[in-house]
Amino acid sequence: MIAFKYTKTDGAEYLSHLDLLRHIDRTLKRAGIKVKTSEGFNPHPKIFMNSPLGLGIKSIAEYCAVDCFFSGDFKEAFNANSPCGVKCLDFKEVSNNPNYAYAIKSCQYSAEGLTSFDPNAILNKSNIAATDGRGREIDLRERICGLEFADGKLYFTLLCGEKNLRPDFFCEYLEGLFGGKAQNVIKLQAFGENVF
Amino acid sequence: MKVNLDELRPLLLKVEKPSRYTGGEFGAPDLKESAFNFCMCFPDLYEVGMSNLGIKIVAESILKRGFTADFCFTPYKDFGAGLKERGVPLYSLGLKKPLAEFDMLGFSLQFELCYTNVLYMLDLAGIPLLRSERAGKNYPLIAVGGPCAVNPEPLADFVDIVFIGDGERVDADVAESFVKHGGATQEFYNEISKMDGVYCPALTEVVYEGGKIKEFRGITRVKKALISDLDGAVFPDRFAVPNCESVHDRAVIEVMRGCYRGCRFCQAGFIYRPVRPRDADTLTKQACSLIKNSGYDEVSLNSLSTGDYPELRTLIKKLKESLPEGVKLALPSLRVDSFDSDFAQDARRVSLTFAPEAGSQRLRDVINKDVTEEEILRAAESAFDLGYSAVKLYFMMGLPTETDEDLTEINRICAYIKGAYRKKPRKKQLRISVSCSTFIPKPFTPFQWEAQATEQEIEKKQKVLKDTLRVKGVNLSWSDNFTARLEAVLARGDRRLSKVLLLAYKNGCIFDGWDKELNKEGWQKAFESANTDMREYTRERGESEILPWDFIDVGVTKKFLLSERGKAYSGKVTGSCIESCKGCGLQKNCAAAKGKEK
Repeated sequence: MIAFKYTKTDGAEYLSHLDLLRHIDRTLKRAGIKVKTSEGFNPHPKIFMNSPLGLGIKSIAEYCAVDCFFSGDFKEAFNANSPCGVKCLDFKEVSNNPNYAYAIKSCQYSAEGLTSFDPNAILNKSNIAATDGRGREIDLRERICGLEFADGKLYFTLLCGEKNLRPDFFCEYLEGLFGGKAQNVIKLQAFGENVF
Repeated sequence: MKVNLDELRPLLLKVEKPSRYTGGEFGAPDLKESAFNFCMCFPDLYEVGMSNLGIKIVAESILKRGFTADFCFTPYKDFGAGLKERGVPLYSLGLKKPLAEFDMLGFSLQFELCYTNVLYMLDLAGIPLLRSERAGKNYPLIAVGGPCAVNPEPLADFVDIVFIGDGERVDADVAESFVKHGGATQEFYNEISKMDGVYCPALTEVVYEGGKIKEFRGITRVKKALISDLDGAVFPDRFAVPNCESVHDRAVIEVMRGCYRGCRFCQAGFIYRPVRPRDADTLTKQACSLIKNSGYDEVSLNSLSTGDYPELRTLIKKLKESLPEGVKLALPSLRVDSFDSDFAQDARRVSLTFAPEAGSQRLRDVINKDVTEEEILRAAESAFDLGYSAVKLYFMMGLPTETDEDLTEINRICAYIKGAYRKKPRKKQLRISVSCSTFIPKPFTPFQWEAQATEQEIEKKQKVLKDTLRVKGVNLSWSDNFTARLEAVLARGDRRLSKVLLLAYKNGCIFDGWDKELNKEGWQKAFESANTDMREYTRERGESEILPWDFIDVGVTKKFLLSERGKAYSGKVTGSCIESCKGCGLQKNCAAAKGKEK
């Protein structure tokens, strides 16, 4: 099994999760990398991606694992056959499925264009009530793991998975409080087991 | 100038399927500007256009000559409105270059109801719609091509160049002439208007008398461009793999162009003559390189009637031997008489589509659809034995000589098919859907003179069909009456309709082919304001009348079409060109006529 880290930039940030899965499947086919398929009535390729990234958010830290036989330079083969903006950064052999959709617990992002503020104004709060995109009442604070300004950018780390917080949703919240307009939101890194 | 996607981010985040507008597909050529920058435009959405093979062939023929060929599709209303609001012009997908900065825009006209989308794209690009408004200014040449270009007259006021016939035969020659003459000069027009397949509406004048055409002046004959050998013709060895799922998301090869059958209502069956099959080896090579370069797991064997491809068995065998394991073959457009369990096995589909087109044998003879009820049943039965459990049946209503009896026969076919399904115990319940579209007389068919049934007549026919279709569980659908009339008007229209098109566009008509988008009031108002009666275009045409498309020569003679019309009225079937040559006018270019068919 091969685990790899890849980008979603240069227009690819507008690919939906399902379309991206199809593109990874086709990229591997074009590269001649044979992916094992699930057994059963409707076999599908064993490609395991991390949780879906919000549409329009760029990333240089997407993770995927594929159950395949391949001994060559995976990165080179993948990148020669992938669409614009979907590029492998690194890969490694793994013996078991790292299950990135569950293994990744939080992610760090950066954003430009927000008016500068004291991160403690957020971090010192014990609870931030908000309504998410689906109309559910949530506590933002418990989903915020880190927040700091450096070189004019805001770096922030948010929970993934069950208590996921979308970076664009969080930025909108900050815009409402402090002003400015978040631009160039990028997912920089993921935290959890088996990330590299 | 280049449009920056990052600046469009707020818009892209707001619209449905933003990946329609971002480009960057795998397999899209790495474009650079050149001496001739062409943008292939498709007047429908990205996912429809990306499935079209014709535009890929045209783009390839331009690229092969060392020029640039980019793509652009009609944005959906949300994105179109957003571009306008922000003052961003419509741009190409590869270079992200505003359309107005290209040397030529080529629109592919696949059906008449896309005409207002052509105007919509020009408008979004900031290009004046009328040719007269662009004259003497530095705008790209506006060209059209594709099947509807055989009667381009309704678009005459908007376009500079019409490509008629096999575009890949002539388009790069036009590009070269443009470069040689340093632009769209008089010399350029003089040169290209002599080429087969090129029509410049400005060079032909139409004189009317009493509402009808009296004569054509200027250039009065335009021959279609014809490729006699498809094996040597341009064909892309890779496709851009669409960002989001397209309507036919698979590799496509064109096994042959043209159809041997000559069904009398079918425009494609006449304008794509003569039949030109590709060699099985050429096709196998093309299929293998497309699969390798696209990562698709399905190849579609396209043509108007793939079951008539002379070497179908050989081809399927070769493809199965050469394609990677697991790649499926799809055979659309199989006629019932060519439906063979050998061919169907690969598809593993649940639903099968047959197009008897008419309910009774009498009417099928009239339209020269040489298929019997027994053949339909035999094909359905072998499909059921393979596990198919749903049948789609396509019929037409409003055909010449049609009576209520012809329509009631549709019920009988459904009952027989149901009976065939019940012969053996089967796991699933049979589903039959009957789709009955309104007949639309098209140019260059033996029915080009026919009147289209009126709305009242069609409504009556629909009622007859509904009342007589008694087989339980049949799902019946038909086409929208106004849509069918509009298509009929535009199909046999003349250049006076340009005025109506412009008004309709200004009334907000776009995406006319979509049921939920059709703006009937906008069209009705346009016809009213232009003082134009739709009935003037749906009426029967006199056989001695000059038809708006008579100056175009697609190779099939008017004499042949007239004799076919005569045979229709006496219920005589003409049969396939494979049996014997019927003398349609293209014998000199036809391999089948020369008896060279394998």
